[in-house]
Amino acid sequence: MLGYLLRRVLSTIPVMALVALFVFSLLYVAPGDPAAVIAGEQASPEDVEKIRMALGLDRPFVVRFLEWSFAVLSGDLGVSMFTGLPVTELIGQRIEPTLSLMLVTITLSALVAVPLGVIAAWKAGSWWDRMFMALAVLGFSVPVFVVGYLLAYWFALEFDWFPVQGYTPIAKGFWPWLQNLILPSIALGFVYIALIARITRATMLEALSQDYVRTARAKGVAEGAILYLHALKNAAVPIATVIGIGVALLIGGAVVTESVFAIPGLGRLTIDAIVRRDYPMIQGIVLMFSFVYVLVNLAVDLVYVALDPRIRY
Amino acid sequence: MSTPASMISRAEQPRTEFLAASPLPDVLPPVQVRTGVAGFVYRHPTMVIGMVLLAIIVFVAIFAPWLGTVDPTALAPAKRTREPSAEFWFGSDAFGRDVYSRVLYGARVSLLVGFAVAILASVIGLFLGTVSGFVRSLDGLIMRVMDGLMSIPPILLAIALMALTRASVQNVILAITIAEIPRVARLVRGVVLSLREQPYVDAAIAAGTPTAFIILRHILPNTVAPLTVQATYICGSAMIVESILSFIGAGTPPIIPSWGNIMADGRTLWQVKPYIILFPAIFLSLTVLAVNLLGDSLRDALDPRMAKRV
Repeated sequence: MLGYLLRRVLSTIPVMALVALFVFSLLYVAPGDPAAVIAGEQASPEDVEKIRMALGLDRPFVVRFLEWSFAVLSGDLGVSMFTGLPVTELIGQRIEPTLSLMLVTITLSALVAVPLGVIAAWKAGSWWDRMFMALAVLGFSVPVFVVGYLLAYWFALEFDWFPVQGYTPIAKGFWPWLQNLILPSIALGFVYIALIARITRATMLEALSQDYVRTARAKGVAEGAILYLHALKNAAVPIATVIGIGVALLIGGAVVTESVFAIPGLGRLTIDAIVRRDYPMIQGIVLMFSFVYVLVNLAVDLVYVALDPRIRY
Repeated sequence: MSTPASMISRAEQPRTEFLAASPLPDVLPPVQVRTGVAGFVYRHPTMVIGMVLLAIIVFVAIFAPWLGTVDPTALAPAKRTREPSAEFWFGSDAFGRDVYSRVLYGARVSLLVGFAVAILASVIGLFLGTVSGFVRSLDGLIMRVMDGLMSIPPILLAIALMALTRASVQNVILAITIAEIPRVARLVRGVVLSLREQPYVDAAIAAGTPTAFIILRHILPNTVAPLTVQATYICGSAMIVESILSFIGAGTPPIIPSWGNIMADGRTLWQVKPYIILFPAIFLSLTVLAVNLLGDSLRDALDPRMAKRV
């Protein structure tokens, strides 16, 4: 087990190295000369050249990549071209809203999607099943910001149940924090719920056709216990996998959702960075999100052992 | 023997007469085999809905100039943010542009991006996947690069690529394609690896068939079904990613009326003039829905084992 753990953790290193190489190349091939930007418009070509030498921009790709990698490993993601502040500091300032949004979305989606999928599989072929699966297809087809605007228009503007936009830090209380996150989480979770519900239904259908389910039914185990204790436990691994993979959807969606609901998180930071072509900023955000994504899927892999005692490494 | 018949006394037994049996009553209604178009509609309702919807959108995209539209980029500052009316069927935006015309022309961009990405990603992914499955020495390298690309969330990858280049429809197509390739390559590699274990491929190798011919004759035809399904889903997701990129200002140039751009224009006014976002949203969602329905029904039709499961 410990050996597997170690191997699995080590296996993420080449993947992260590739991501880092890709992200670094991004800056390397980015249009515009940072030296010229720093020197300003009145600078002579000699001055620009001097700055380039001083910044080390004249050295070969491999040297710069290694140097940058070591800096990243020691927690230095460079300096934002626009604000002049360290990228890590800017990310640190904006991480709480995004993290809150994603955690609430994952919790909410799992709580909604798994029972939906279980019911759909249990009543396979019924109207409930068809309705849920039709909703799932719809979930894949409606872009996240459209759901966001619809929810905001009805539940915030028309009915006035939730705040329209904005974010309240959790330090100001749990309920105000949650209240601001409910609509964005539903909007962001729409695709995610569809994805999880579909996988849950598929794996549950398979689990429910197994012999042990028939045995449990024959000896009179309550239907709820069969569904949630016998079948769902055996269907847990694929569901956990898809919850992990789906985080990629959430990361992409969070950027858009934050812009719809005016949440001052990493998504807004990303959009600002794109508009200003702030490459170190874009680099840092992509690297950090990819790192989170790889870590989430690593965690899911390790959770398998807890979910399925048959898995032994 | 104590069968029920022997227990009845002889006298009570009915007289046996040798007559032709009367025809069986019609317990079951006659099996109606529907053929032709009606049969197809009956058997594949979702595919038909998807195809009809998609056909309508394609029709709208092609014939946009003749469907009562005006110049979608024409500004009319005096007539800005009008509610939907006889003059502006879907209202007008903050610059007085006709939302109806813009939405109809927007279909062209979405369809172009969707189909182009689906085709490009499938072709490149098919190539990489086949090479990876057949050339052992390149397998590790190709798959590690794909793993690396897959570790970057697709929308983020597309955003990063768009930040590097000029905003144009071609660049949007390329950026989304690069983000989609790894999934296709993985799928194709999986199919190729399982096909390589098939006895008929062994037989072909034993018979001395050239590798190129094996790929052409035995491998490629078997990738068509899963690849078609995958391409359909890619088409749908590419349209969504295009709209997201345009919406956050990293996609199609703002001058081109794409559904994402129209919604981006309506962003600041959504609380008072929601129709600017609503109409392109409906069109986009219906188009993606049509493509996804096609994908689902194709999957069920091409792989009957999956039909009951997902």
